[in-house]
Amino acid sequence: MPLTPRTTPLTATDAAHLLRRTSFGATEAQIRALVGQTPQAAAAALLVFPTTTLDTPFKPAEAVAPYAAIKLFQAAWLREMVLTPYPLRERLALMWSNHFVIGTDKVKNLSALDNYLSVLRGHALSNFTDLALAAVKTPAVMRYLDNDQNKKGKPNENLGRELLELYTAGIGNYSEADVKEGARALTGWTFEGKRGPKDFADPQTFTFNAKQHDGGSKTYLGKTGNFGGDDIVRLAAGHPSTAERVAFKLWRSFVSDAPDAAGQAKLTETYRQSGGDLRQTLQALLSSQEFYASRSSIIRSPTEFVVGALRSAGRTDIDEKTYLNLSGTLARLGQDLLHPPTVKGWDGGREWINDSTLLLRMQVAAAMTLGNQKGKAQTKMADTVPEPSALALLGSEKMPSALAKLGSAQRTYLMLVSPEYQLI
Amino acid sequence: MNRRDFLKLSALAVSVTSGMPGFLARAAATAGGDKTLVVIQLTGGNDGLNTLIPYSNGAYYAARPNIAIGKKDVLNLTADLGMHPSLRALSKFWDAGQLGWLENIGYPNPNRSHFASMAIWHTADPTQAASDGWIGRIAETIGDPFCASNIGNATPLALQAKQFSLPSISSVDSYQLKLPAGLHDPFTTLLNAPRQGEAEYLQAATKQMLLNTAKVQKNLSKYRSGAVYPDSKFAASLQDIARLIAGGNGQRVLYTSLGSFDTHAGQRAEQDDLLRELAEGLAAFQADLDVQGLADKVVVMGFSEFGRRVAENASAGTDHGQGSVMFVLGKSVKGGIHGDSPDLENLADGDIRYKQDFRGVYANALDTWLNLDSKEILGGKFDGPKWLS
Repeated sequence: MPLTPRTTPLTATDAAHLLRRTSFGATEAQIRALVGQTPQAAAAALLVFPTTTLDTPFKPAEAVAPYAAIKLFQAAWLREMVLTPYPLRERLALMWSNHFVIGTDKVKNLSALDNYLSVLRGHALSNFTDLALAAVKTPAVMRYLDNDQNKKGKPNENLGRELLELYTAGIGNYSEADVKEGARALTGWTFEGKRGPKDFADPQTFTFNAKQHDGGSKTYLGKTGNFGGDDIVRLAAGHPSTAERVAFKLWRSFVSDAPDAAGQAKLTETYRQSGGDLRQTLQALLSSQEFYASRSSIIRSPTEFVVGALRSAGRTDIDEKTYLNLSGTLARLGQDLLHPPTVKGWDGGREWINDSTLLLRMQVAAAMTLGNQKGKAQTKMADTVPEPSALALLGSEKMPSALAKLGSAQRTYLMLVSPEYQLI
Repeated sequence: MNRRDFLKLSALAVSVTSGMPGFLARAAATAGGDKTLVVIQLTGGNDGLNTLIPYSNGAYYAARPNIAIGKKDVLNLTADLGMHPSLRALSKFWDAGQLGWLENIGYPNPNRSHFASMAIWHTADPTQAASDGWIGRIAETIGDPFCASNIGNATPLALQAKQFSLPSISSVDSYQLKLPAGLHDPFTTLLNAPRQGEAEYLQAATKQMLLNTAKVQKNLSKYRSGAVYPDSKFAASLQDIARLIAGGNGQRVLYTSLGSFDTHAGQRAEQDDLLRELAEGLAAFQADLDVQGLADKVVVMGFSEFGRRVAENASAGTDHGQGSVMFVLGKSVKGGIHGDSPDLENLADGDIRYKQDFRGVYANALDTWLNLDSKEILGGKFDGPKWLS
């Protein structure tokens, strides 16, 4: 049984819920503008976006070293998330970057990072198989999972294994033999371009090196043939359990941190009926009863915490230095963009929360609102803070009574550190 | 933080204890004991064969023409085994009988996924059914959510408990709340409003954090550094561990990680650096504990989720394997080699066959060092090397 469409028009809190989950949050006015729309129309409007991004003041290619270039690249992405008219595109790119994981500890080439992010944006609403094919073929993935070292007769299993374990079918749905045969099929996939530490601004492009490819017969996930890389990515992406894993990712990202077998089964069915079409699946998900019934059940990631505060306050006046600082803050909160701790990515949910990250969230909130905080979270934002409403920050029409007698900046600060703001 | 600030914080912390679960009330009474276990996680699958090297074994050199550690570089421990040269800082502990290597450690039906295998080590459950960690279960047995802490940014599964989350402390210095003036009362009122679901979880976590930070900051002044630590994040974490132990915060288990050991290509450069960081950090930590007069009270136990394949791959690296070495360090440790080395000519799918179950290693720490019932924590009785004296 697929997801159940919701038919009643959006109230203000429904609209706040939708924009918290799809747009990192929104201003009171942006929320009110959706009131009375059908859930279907509201979702459809969010799911139309171009691939072009805003002009950016950041010039990573002019950095003196790869480390600095990566910092600029991350800050540029953070700025895009805050300012873009298409925040769902960025939220989806962030989600897929936590699925087709790469890490800037190994991938330090700017064109590889840029291409990777463009692929995630451009295919965010494609068929999942097309997304997987495009993502796996990026120089970023080639480098991160060592497939440039995977040669005929000299396999390197890294990509072959993670393709099955993390990108598609998942543990328990393939054998060690599938890993080895998949690695053979992926031989010859590599990238062209300079690779030295000083070459971080030079272009890298995917290429197939036929001389290094093992063209022999392979048996993969129960099928036999002279498979190449495309074949096995298609087989893995089309594996029945891949549908469940994609549905799980979407559930975690848009519905709840808590497992819900029945809800996930419906989402899986919706995905299967669409033939793995991500736009159709998300259209159904974001206008479903299941989506609107599940409130305050996802713990905000550091990015959702920071970008949510800025978008809810309608902040468009932030300077480059502050974006760089905030990008570093994300790392200290546990989400260094494009550099998760492992190839599995961030687990999220309650794992975002511990004593240190709670303390740091409070410091960041203070720096963003009260402005004169000492310490590492200093962001030097403007002194005057537009006051976001309780609807914008907490998704509720009612301001907590404890805040009644405080000034605007203090109210905003305490809302940002409340348990309710940590949730979407 | 001055004394007045601290008093204000303590008052805040006390004021938020109302409504805390009952286990907190029990904590003070049962969290006694003055021995600490420090667990070091080598993330990413450390290559055990290039850590404790079977340098008399021709099969080792045959399998690794490019990445084997040359005989002349090995730090000899016995006639057959020696340490990677990057571990030189640990040699003096070997000589003093305070460093133990546990050979051939693993578990049934080895899993070559980093995450599945790490989860098995974290939960002490090779069937992967358990959702809480073995250290989380220690905390629940003792009844104190502050009896175990991770030093790092994220709490590993090992420290997940059913009832509460154990602290992760990214750095002890930043582990304090400075609430802006005038917001003490509104914050307390806001925090104490009744909640449900995830909001209630976040509320409890925040209250617990207030208690934990107040306690640690109060005790920090008891520590004066007794060693110069190397300039690395790992060493800084070890120094924070020394500070927490010296502060007398009652923590029984402290946990930190070093990585990444996932050396699929160009292994030598990567692993060599990481092992040096490990050894030099640990040597400073042990020296510091000596100065603090705490060396008898602390033992270190290090593990990785799996070892690497015996044969190197074509990228001068190694792919995921099974079974590996563990190390233990401290004055109360029985130094030496515990267990037999792997048979490199009788492999399982290219990997060594494990001979000792890691749960037996945990059991010795639980029963002998922490004075807890290992059967209760591990869900069964496990025998293993007796690595504590």
